[in-house]
Order: sequence, then structure tokens, then C-alpha cells
Amino acid sequence: MPAISHTWLPLLYLYGVGGIFFLIGMIIIRKSKAIDLKKKRHRYWYRVLIFGYFYFVAFHVIFTLIAIYW
Amino acid sequence: METTSSNIQTTFHSIGSSTDWVVMVVYFIAIMLFGSYFGRYNRSTKDFFFGGRRFAWWLIAFSIVATGVGSHSFVKYSAKGFEYGFSSTMTYINDWFFIPLFLFGWLPIIVYTKIRSIPEYFEKRFSPSARFLATVLLLLYMIGYIGIGFLTLGKAVIPMLPENFELLGMQFDITLMGAIAVIAVITGIYITFGGQTAVIFTDLLQGFVLLFAGFLLFFLGISYLGGFDTFWNLLPVAWKLPLADLTKPPDFNFVGIFWQDGVAGSVGFLFMNMGLIMRFMATKSVDEGRKAATFNILFMLPLSAIVVGNAGWIGKALSISNPELVPANTSPDQIFVVVANIVAMPGVFGFIMAALTAALMSTVDTLINATAAIYINDIHRPVVKYLQKGKEDKKNTDKRELAAARWSSVIITAFGVVSVLAFKSFPTVYEAHGYFHSTLTPPLVIAIFLGIFWKKFTPSAVISTFVGGVALMILGLHDANLITPFAHGIEMNHSHPYSYIRAFYNLFVCGAVAVIVTYSTTLQQSVVAKIRRKSNHKKISYALIAVAIALFGMVVFNVGIFILQFIGVVIMTSAVAIATTYTVKYDPVAQTEGLTVWSLAKAKEMFKGSKVNEEEGEVINVEWKTKEGDDDIANFSKNDMAKMAANVGDLVYICDARKIYGGLKSVHAVYGEPHEEDGIVMLNNEHLLNGVFKEGKTVTAEKEM
Repeated sequence: MPAISHTWLPLLYLYGVGGIFFLIGMIIIRKSKAIDLKKKRHRYWYRVLIFGYFYFVAFHVIFTLIAIYW
Repeated sequence: METTSSNIQTTFHSIGSSTDWVVMVVYFIAIMLFGSYFGRYNRSTKDFFFGGRRFAWWLIAFSIVATGVGSHSFVKYSAKGFEYGFSSTMTYINDWFFIPLFLFGWLPIIVYTKIRSIPEYFEKRFSPSARFLATVLLLLYMIGYIGIGFLTLGKAVIPMLPENFELLGMQFDITLMGAIAVIAVITGIYITFGGQTAVIFTDLLQGFVLLFAGFLLFFLGISYLGGFDTFWNLLPVAWKLPLADLTKPPDFNFVGIFWQDGVAGSVGFLFMNMGLIMRFMATKSVDEGRKAATFNILFMLPLSAIVVGNAGWIGKALSISNPELVPANTSPDQIFVVVANIVAMPGVFGFIMAALTAALMSTVDTLINATAAIYINDIHRPVVKYLQKGKEDKKNTDKRELAAARWSSVIITAFGVVSVLAFKSFPTVYEAHGYFHSTLTPPLVIAIFLGIFWKKFTPSAVISTFVGGVALMILGLHDANLITPFAHGIEMNHSHPYSYIRAFYNLFVCGAVAVIVTYSTTLQQSVVAKIRRKSNHKKISYALIAVAIALFGMVVFNVGIFILQFIGVVIMTSAVAIATTYTVKYDPVAQTEGLTVWSLAKAKEMFKGSKVNEEEGEVINVEWKTKEGDDDIANFSKNDMAKMAANVGDLVYICDARKIYGGLKSVHAVYGEPHEEDGIVMLNNEHLLNGVFKEGKTVTAEKEM
């Protein structure tokens, strides 16, 4: 079994620190009204942005589990 | 095959057969002819650089594949895949964090403000002096990027070439720099005569070819090894993990690469890479640009990660199962070529190599085209404007600029070749690229980011970031111990200290200078007010600039002990901030309107020239008829305009209805007064020439924005 510094710590760092950047970005575009949730098209894009974050989290979690247990 | 004693690595020469060379030459000729064909769509510098803002998202999304794959290269990711396994993919899957800011901040700003280069944004947002410094830094960045591309190309081709050749009875060694010089000549040809439209279409073709070639190699490799189970079981567990170890080893650790690639690299690639930005600007609308970027990052980059890294993984498995065939100490930068040659038959190997080198050429071409755009917009045009002093000959200007664009492409290519010298001492292309990103992107990343998202960010702060931030970065180059507190415990490699994590230090110091100078604006203004009251205030401002230049020279040439240099940087940054506040006329309201994320609605209005009509309409099919005149007006029937929810003066996008063209045959116009004939649009000859519409073919029309 590889050390945690090679398995879960990089993943936590990636989506923790990266997540802070992502969250700041989401807050800025909402507060500035660059993304206007009253518009149907923008609501679609807002969902795409959130989906993208968890899509990549799932990607790395699944591949880490496969590497360790398969 | 030979073992070099200097780095105890096995290197290869004369790989491949004459069949492979024939396949490669045929492939290159085909690609060049294909690119040249699309050169006819360039009618102005706007077309040469931006492709006329006309393309569909899917066309741009696929054309970006060749740019992304080429720039990140089969060579460097196969090398890291061979050394460390699947974690070579991690830099392809860490770009999402900045996507909200890109899609809803930077992308609409660059499209709606109609800026033609990043430095132009700096002039509008800050001042001409900020534009000048941004141009210098951006040209260094772009030329360095071209150099990395050439280095990778050279390393890819060298294993296929003999060690030397004979000509007229004399023996010549084939060197890396010699190979790169020849490649540069070939690379320059179709970009010089093709332009952006040619690049987009050759990249589109190559995007498909690359994905095919990459997966072909993977399947050939797996079957050579005896199936997927054999391949999987040969690899150690650590090789299968998708991310590298947090801090070990110095040449490939997660945290360093996160800051270098995930932060500086991602922002650099999305926000600063003019080659990529020009692709998004070539889409028909902001929404299409968003689709292209999203599709690329969600789907194409993960696929590209497999395409570019798999030769290294196969190589690793081969080095375990058959170490005589692939020695464990094979030069990592050669593993792609070595593996491709082993698993593919003659001809197929040539095809794979052609796809690889052509993709790299695409990247380099895109970058050369983008750098030429910066040259034309930020150096040529301002200089010509100054020399002509208002006596502009508009008719010939575009012709001359197109010629200048082509010549500048040639000169930039030469600079790119020379810049290889700065990177060739690194053990792998990966480290050279990492060091390059860590060192050159941070000041521009901070400046662009704060410029877009922070209204308070001032010209004196941005110029101080470019000067003071860079000086602190240079201190970090002189003494790597400065970076240690930022290193997360990564061990320092003394020959190339902190290649990746220095990005964190560089971002921090540039960001700190930017924030401190912005928050001290009132103090600067009071100092400047005091200076202005003096009779010799002009001389004082010149003295401040002279002091700043002298202190910057002291840091660059490493004169004096560290503490003196550090104090010098503080004094220099203060002098720059005060001199800029004294010199630059800055209107914080006018110069942020439409230029930050906080006033995008205004940017849209400025783009259109009047209030934006937000009502959603349909896309309609119409036939076209010709009319007299050369204005920008297209006339539809009243009913058709109602369907499109369009008013006179709104913007319209008219495109050949055949989707396969992806917007190549299209034109932008303005709605004119309506007529009574439904299903007909009246276009003039200029529209027809720009849109390259064919007689009898239906077009679609839709309201823009």
C-alpha cells in the first residue's frame, strides 16, 4: 500500500486549495452579476461549472481506488 | 543504441526505416497543402489572426486538441509516464478551478472590448506604459513557449536521425540545435502563408489524427505486451496512482506541480496564451467560446492525457518484462519514439511520428501566429501611427500589416530557435517547461487577474508588480533559500532548485507587491502632491525613474549582498509606484468600465454600440439575394426579424446552413430596415466575399448577443 502522501493527501490538497480558487471564482462571477441566474442560459452554465468540479473529484477518487485495490 | 556516460542514460539513433520517412514526408506535404488551401479565407489582418470570429464551438474545440496535445507534448508526458506512471496525467486534469473566472470573466471581456492582444487590454485598463511592460513580458513568455516547442520537436526527431552524415566527403554531426534550425524553416512555411484560418483547419485535422495515433499506439502496446491484464499487473501500484507524491521527488512532486501547472500554468494557458485566446475569439459568439472551452477541458483533456502519456506507461511495462529491449535507464525524453518503434510496424511508426511532429508544429505555429499578432498590435501599429502622425493611408495599411505579420512570423521563429539555448540544459523537457512556467507567468498572471477582478487595482500597482515583483523573483533565482519557506518540505535540487514550487513564491511576491501598492494609493497621491508643489517636480520624477533603473540593474546583475539588494527592491518599488502615480493620468471610473468583471453589461453595450436587446429569438433559414452598396447592413423581412426577436441596429450572424463547414462560410452584419419578402436576406458584395457564400445555398441567420 503506497503512503498516504502519495494517495489521499495530494487529492485533498488539489480539491482543497484548488477548491478555494474555484469557490472564489464562483463568488466573484455571481456577485459581479457576470453570471445572472435569472437567465435560463446562465443557470445552465452555473450547473455545468459545479458539475465540472465534482466530475474531476470523482475522476481522481475512482482512479485512486482502482490503483490501490484493483 | 548507446549509453552516454555523462548522465548514465541509454540514447537511440537511426530509429525507423525508409518507409517511415516516406510516410512522414507525404503526411507533411498533405498537411501543408491543406493549410495553404484555407489561406484564401484571409482578406485582412483580422482574418489572418482571428479567423474572422465566425466558427462553431465544435470546430474550435477539436482544433484546440492539437494545440493542447502538441504543447504539452507526447515527449514530455511519455517521459514522466515512463519515470512515474499514470500521475503524468495530473496536469491535464487540474484546469477546472479557474474556469468560472475564464468563462464569465476574461472571455467576455476580451471579446466584447474587441481587444486584439493582451497588452492592448493593459493600455485600456491602465496606461500605455503598462501596455509596454506587458508586451515585453508577454513576448518573452511567447518566445520562450516557442523555444520549448522547438526543443520538444528536436528531441522527438533526433532518435530517428543518424549521429552524423557525410556531404562532399566531409562528416557533419547531427546536433539538437542543427535539427531544430531545420525544423524551424519547415514550420515557418504554412503559418507565413496561411494565417489563423489555416492553423484552425490544420489543427482540426490533426486533432483527430493525434487522438487516433495516440490510441493506436496504446492498443498496439497493450497487444504487444500480451493484453491489458499483463500490462496492468506489470506496473507497480505507485505507478497506477493518478497523482504524484505530495513532496517527493524534487523532479516530480504533486505540490510543486500544482502551483506551477495547476495555478500558474492553468491561468497562463487560459488567460495569457494568445494562441489559445485567439482560438476562442475565432468562435462566432461568447457562448460558443464557452462551449468550446468546457468541452475541451471536460472531455478532450482527459483523453489527451492518455494519448500523450501511454507510450511512457507501455515503456515502463516493457522495461520490466523485457529490460534488454527497453533498458530501465532509457533516456526519458526518447521513450515515446523508442516504444512507438517497437510496437508499430514500419510505415505505422512513420505515421505516428508524423502525427506527433505535425502536432508539435501546430502548437509552435499557433504560438508564432499569436506572437506576430502581439507584434503587429503592440509594436508595429503604435510605431507606424507615431511616424505617420495622423496621415493614415487606410487603403494600404491592411496590406502592409499583412506583409509585416508574415515577416514578423519569420523573425519570431528565429528568436524561438535561439531561446532553446535557455532550456536545453534541463534533464527533461518536462522540467524545462515547468521551470519556464514558474518563472515567466506569475507577474502577468497576477496583473491580468487583479486587473479583471479587482476594480481598485491601479496603474502604479500593475507597473510596480511588473518591476518590483520581477525583481523579487530574480532575488529568488539568485538565492533559492528564499523559496524554502514556500517549498512545503520539498528537497532542494541544487542543479535546478525548486523548478516547480518557485511558482508559489513568485505568485506570492508579485501578489504582495500588487496588493501593498494598491492599498498605499492614498499615500502615493499625497507624496506626488508634495512633489508637484516643488518647482523642480519634473526633475524629481526623472530622478525616481533613474534610481529605479539603477536598483533594478543591481538586482539583475547580482551586485551587493542580499540584504542590500532586498532594501534596493523596496526602494525601487516605492520609486516606481510614485513615479507612475506622478506620470500616468488614470480615471478609475472610465478605465474600469467594461474592462472588469464588475461591468460586463457595459462591455456588451460598448461592443454593440447601443443598448443590448436581450430578448431570445430563433435561428432561421433564409435564401440570399444581392444588393448594391458596401455598408455592413443586411436586410430581412419584418416577419423574419420578429422570429429572430431582432430590431434595426442589432447584430446578426449569417452562416452557410451546411453544418459541416462549422461557420467557415459566414459573416457578421447589422440588421437594416426590413423589407416585405419573407425568407430572403439582402446582402451586398462585401458580405458575399467575406462569407464565401455559394449561389443557391441556404444560409442561417441569428441575432447576436
